[in-house]
Amino acid sequence: MFSIILNKKSNKSSNVVGLNERNVNLIYPNNPKKYYPLADDKVLTKEILHKNNIPCAKTFGVIEYNSDIKKTWQSCNSNNALAIKPANGCGGGGIKILKKDKNGDWFSSGKKISDREIFQHMASIIMGFFSLGSHDRVLIEECIEPHPFFHEIYPEGVPDFRIITLNNTPLMSMLRMPTNKSDGKANLHQNGVGIGVDMKEGRLLDVYDGKKYSNHHPDSTFLVNGAPIPYWKEILEISIATAKAFPLNYLGIDVVIDKVKGPQIMEINVRPGLGIQLVNKMGLKGAIQQAI
Amino acid sequence: MTSKTNLKTALILIATIAIISIGFKVPSILKNYDNFNPKEVYKLKYRFFFKSGANNTSLKTYVPKSNSRQRISEEQISNDGTLLFLKKNEQQGNTRAIWNTKSINSYHAIDYDFTFEGKDKSFIVPKIFKNTLKVNKEYLNPTLNIQSDNKAVKDLAIQLTKDTKNDKEVIQNIFDYVYAIPSAPIITLTDAVTTILQKRASCNGKSRLFVALCRSLDYPSRIKGGIIVEKGNKRTSHAWVELLINDIWVPFDGLNNHFAYLPANYLEIYQGDKSLITRTAGIQFDYIYEIEQLHHVSFLNMNSKELHTLPGFSLWNLVAKDIVPTGALHLLLLLPIGGLLVAFLRNIVGLKTFGVFLPVLIAFSLSHTGFISGIAIFVGLIILIGLISYPFDRLGLLYTPKLVISLTIMVSVILLSTHFGVKNNILWLTKLTFFPIIILTISAERFSRSTVEDGYVRALDKLFQTLIATSITYFILSWSFLPSILILFPEIVLLVIVLAAFLGRYIGIRWAELFRFKPLLLSER
Repeated sequence: MFSIILNKKSNKSSNVVGLNERNVNLIYPNNPKKYYPLADDKVLTKEILHKNNIPCAKTFGVIEYNSDIKKTWQSCNSNNALAIKPANGCGGGGIKILKKDKNGDWFSSGKKISDREIFQHMASIIMGFFSLGSHDRVLIEECIEPHPFFHEIYPEGVPDFRIITLNNTPLMSMLRMPTNKSDGKANLHQNGVGIGVDMKEGRLLDVYDGKKYSNHHPDSTFLVNGAPIPYWKEILEISIATAKAFPLNYLGIDVVIDKVKGPQIMEINVRPGLGIQLVNKMGLKGAIQQAI
Repeated sequence: MTSKTNLKTALILIATIAIISIGFKVPSILKNYDNFNPKEVYKLKYRFFFKSGANNTSLKTYVPKSNSRQRISEEQISNDGTLLFLKKNEQQGNTRAIWNTKSINSYHAIDYDFTFEGKDKSFIVPKIFKNTLKVNKEYLNPTLNIQSDNKAVKDLAIQLTKDTKNDKEVIQNIFDYVYAIPSAPIITLTDAVTTILQKRASCNGKSRLFVALCRSLDYPSRIKGGIIVEKGNKRTSHAWVELLINDIWVPFDGLNNHFAYLPANYLEIYQGDKSLITRTAGIQFDYIYEIEQLHHVSFLNMNSKELHTLPGFSLWNLVAKDIVPTGALHLLLLLPIGGLLVAFLRNIVGLKTFGVFLPVLIAFSLSHTGFISGIAIFVGLIILIGLISYPFDRLGLLYTPKLVISLTIMVSVILLSTHFGVKNNILWLTKLTFFPIIILTISAERFSRSTVEDGYVRALDKLFQTLIATSITYFILSWSFLPSILILFPEIVLLVIVLAAFLGRYIGIRWAELFRFKPLLLSER
């Protein structure tokens, strides 16, 4: 009876990793808790990336105190596009993408935004509105322009690759894309779609929308399956470099492709989700065996 | 690796010690297993004081006997030597204690004490009554005070049978009528007819009218006398009614609204329209019933002293000496079990809940409010507070102050509805205060945040899963033997640690993940 309750059989024979096994066998032994902030705090992550010359969005400024907002903003103001992010934000909350028009006015998601509103947003980031009450820092960085490759599949939002690495070895990957229903977000559980990746060939596989598989994005007719991924070799290289740069051995690394600068590291995750197994129709344990 | 092996050894050692310690106690507990399972246990003492008169003086009182729902034991009588005591079985199965004395103008004291173990009992009332055995005439005939042949009684009875389809509805109407009569502590004898006329009555008047109405419609019925046993001293006895339904005497209390139900603390003493104490007229006399509630383990036929002598370690000491209030002690002991249960539901079943121990704490509250109304109140509150807090979420307030607002709204809603409930006599509204407010606030907050982050469907799904976990926890924790078992075997807490440690190393796929990864698992086969 116990073996039924504990799913003994299916666990031994299956390659699928569940949350329990991910936590006990992958996260706890490989990711020491004291290093979590290096991944959870975007400012710390970028410091390490910059130090190791790993390509990522240029940091324009970091604001820790309200009194520094004006000064730092003036030094960033000369750019034409930038992203404002809370260092410890979760679920994409508090991120604002700003773009300048010809007259030099700032626009955010199609609406004009005054300096005062920008300062207010930064102040609320510092006060911890997007990071559950704790003090936070503002990260101002270069704005990524997605590579035209993605436009053919779906033109909106910023798609990214999620690469799972274990001991500096990439195991599995997927491309996450927004949909008409996902409100610009690329997360699988927020109606985004995941596209499987053939790691060896660097080609896209099937599209998975959380329920079923198909060979095209739900909002376009472009046939995804088999499409070669631009810069795939570089993507793997910078992922490995990133994995080596951090004292964390089981990571979910998010990579975007900029139309000018090529692959860039966006952020790293110490508790990567397990949906990637469904997207790639493969269990993580199978991927680990293949990698070894 | 060695530290892991060491830990494993330590855990196995702890488990072995716990199991051995439990093993020592099991035989004596099994030996004393008692399937009577009383709900409440009391020590009662009838105390009588009187001064004997000029001639023979006598004092009589009915004494209780054991039956299927009450157990009387450890009877003890102490009286001075000049009193002659005898116990007499009378008609209708009553037993009377009688004291006689020939001494003149002297003071006497009598103590009659016993242990009363009671449990509640409810009866199912069928739609149609059918007694197969011959019914004794005395349960159908009018008496001096139960005037079932009186015109006023008969008219009322016929009026109450109007528009009824079966026997049950008739009895329900009679019951409702009697229950609706305002109660009043009337000391003088109130017969059935007077009860109709003066429209207020004590338990005696109500019972007489109830029986009179039943008998006038040919339902065999009788008065039952006893004491509502409560901690402390009291002088009042109580009367209720029994109806013979399908050869079973079924109790009805038209004063305290018990329909075919007798609570655990009703001590049954005699049958018939009698008085509990009768004595020679004109003597100085006083009496009191002293009642003490006893701690007990429902499934053990052992008294407190015997429980102390159990081999090994138990927490009986804490119970018997009233060091910790019983409720608090039960809560403390059940908390680890509830926690283990939630750990099981989360890590093996894969339920997602708001908060880790929220289901346990809500389950505890449900034991005060009742399951259905408790769940309804819980869901109502969470959704209400979630909706009220929504505009504040939109305002862009900081997390902690926002939580304070939710908390304040929660407290206001609870106080207002309790106030409204008390004022308008809506019972379930007054039960809101049983819920741990902080916990409710946090879960309401999580719910409203979840609606923003994951959308309403996922938030409601999570709420639903929380409710499932709460219900499972509730049904397991409300098993009445569980607190007593934990008091007798506190070692179980050690086993909880051991089990939780193994659960903490469990890497199997959760049941919920079997569905999530179904396509993958299927293709692997």
